[in-house]
Amino acid sequence: MSHAIETEDLEYRAGKRFALHGLNIHVPAGSIYGFLGPNGSGKTTTIRLLLALLRPQRGRIRVLDGEMPADAPRLLARIGFVPEQPHLDSTFTVREMLQFQAPFYRTWDARRAEDLLRQFQLDDQQVIGRMSKGQKAKLLILLALAQRGELLLLDEPTDGLDPVVRRDILFALLEYVSQYKATILISSHLVHELERICDWIGVLDDGRLLTETPMATLKNGIKRLRVKGAPPTLGDAPFVLLGRQICNGAGETWVVRDWSPEMAAYFDGIGASLEDVIDLDLEDSFVELLRASREAAGRT
Amino acid sequence: MFRAILYSQWKWSRLIVALGTVAAFVLPLVSLQGAARADRSPLEAAALLHAVQSWGTLYPLLATALGLLVAIATWAPDHRGRHIHALTLPLPRWRYVLLRFAAGATVLAGPILGIAVGALIAIAAATLPPGLHGYPVALALRFGLAVLVAYSLFFAVSAGTARTAGLILGLVAAVIVIQVFASVANLEFSVVDRLQIILVNWPGPLAVFTGRWMLIDV
Repeated sequence: MSHAIETEDLEYRAGKRFALHGLNIHVPAGSIYGFLGPNGSGKTTTIRLLLALLRPQRGRIRVLDGEMPADAPRLLARIGFVPEQPHLDSTFTVREMLQFQAPFYRTWDARRAEDLLRQFQLDDQQVIGRMSKGQKAKLLILLALAQRGELLLLDEPTDGLDPVVRRDILFALLEYVSQYKATILISSHLVHELERICDWIGVLDDGRLLTETPMATLKNGIKRLRVKGAPPTLGDAPFVLLGRQICNGAGETWVVRDWSPEMAAYFDGIGASLEDVIDLDLEDSFVELLRASREAAGRT
Repeated sequence: MFRAILYSQWKWSRLIVALGTVAAFVLPLVSLQGAARADRSPLEAAALLHAVQSWGTLYPLLATALGLLVAIATWAPDHRGRHIHALTLPLPRWRYVLLRFAAGATVLAGPILGIAVGALIAIAAATLPPGLHGYPVALALRFGLAVLVAYSLFFAVSAGTARTAGLILGLVAAVIVIQVFASVANLEFSVVDRLQIILVNWPGPLAVFTGRWMLIDV
């Protein structure tokens, strides 16, 4: 499998309190990769490193067919970026911003820009500083899509937007991916949103990548089990035990990762009985992953 | 690409440039207004030179103000956006800085042309007393150089981060502290004087601002 983004032991420290620890991300080419993590987990920092806005202290970043930050100018021509906070000059009108961007990108698609203007119902004479949050978000997406990049890096592009604008933006992204086979890395803490569009998920917490897996594997692989008669210590389990909680005299609740149905036989081997297997949605899976990681690290 | 950068520069600094151009055009005309008449005696010619010299102090001030304001206007929008837009454009950083510098220098052509045209009209309209000559082109060239020196200096400072500004302020503070200590210790040593000699006297980088700025002279 070829990767649009690959990082190797990426380390970055900002001040005394925050650091990325040996980040190894692999974003398959052509995928929509959801970068999930709580606020302050390092999503924005990682994206800034991928764009060469920051320089890593250690490690390697490979984006498309080049290295960041060494090949930044060449690669940036092929990357569309939507930042967390609107960064465009507020005195420009929408039309002026389109005219400013176009000469910097050889692949600039003026027709697509006009189509998206209509699709997003943006007034091209409106001054950016007077636009609503939703309109600014749409404009940023428009600019990223009109530049026809092979890779889109979207940093919480729909954060704080109403459902209608969110739907418009997600629809435009899906349409773009199906048309150009582009790769998208989209960071968010809106779990349900990522669940709808992503085919890969990376979960980040406190600068560490907790898991990186296809969406289907994550959703189907994390389960809540009701178990009775399990011994206090377990041997080699075929799954990863994320959490174990004693219920009121009615056995235990386990949260496990990498589960598959044939693993039920394991419980006979340890003299326990598996009473129930409960599916978790992505949000529950995300919360359980975070909880397990924080308990392991001695944090709450 | 340069056109796009130039347009943004024009949009950000057009008010400064327009006002600067008007001021630059008017200044030479006002400095000779009603002053240059052929019937002046040699004594009055000296008074005329004195008046022109007095007005001449405004040229370096105007050049400095224009350089400062255009340099600030050049970087202010990028600072507001934390440079993210600029840094994600697909071109090397040095090239972006060069394009921004060139765009700012280009819009400053307006006030420089304003001085040139104003000075040429002022000299053409005035009848100079014998022995006095007009130097409109030299004045415009000198003004142009002064504007570009001021712009380059402030462009470099404005391009920097808050840390750079802190370093510069720290340097200034260090000079003051050294000067105070030298005075307290009764040392025959003046840092300010030394700096003045290095920077302001010819061939120092700021020498263009000093001396007499004369539209007419002997």
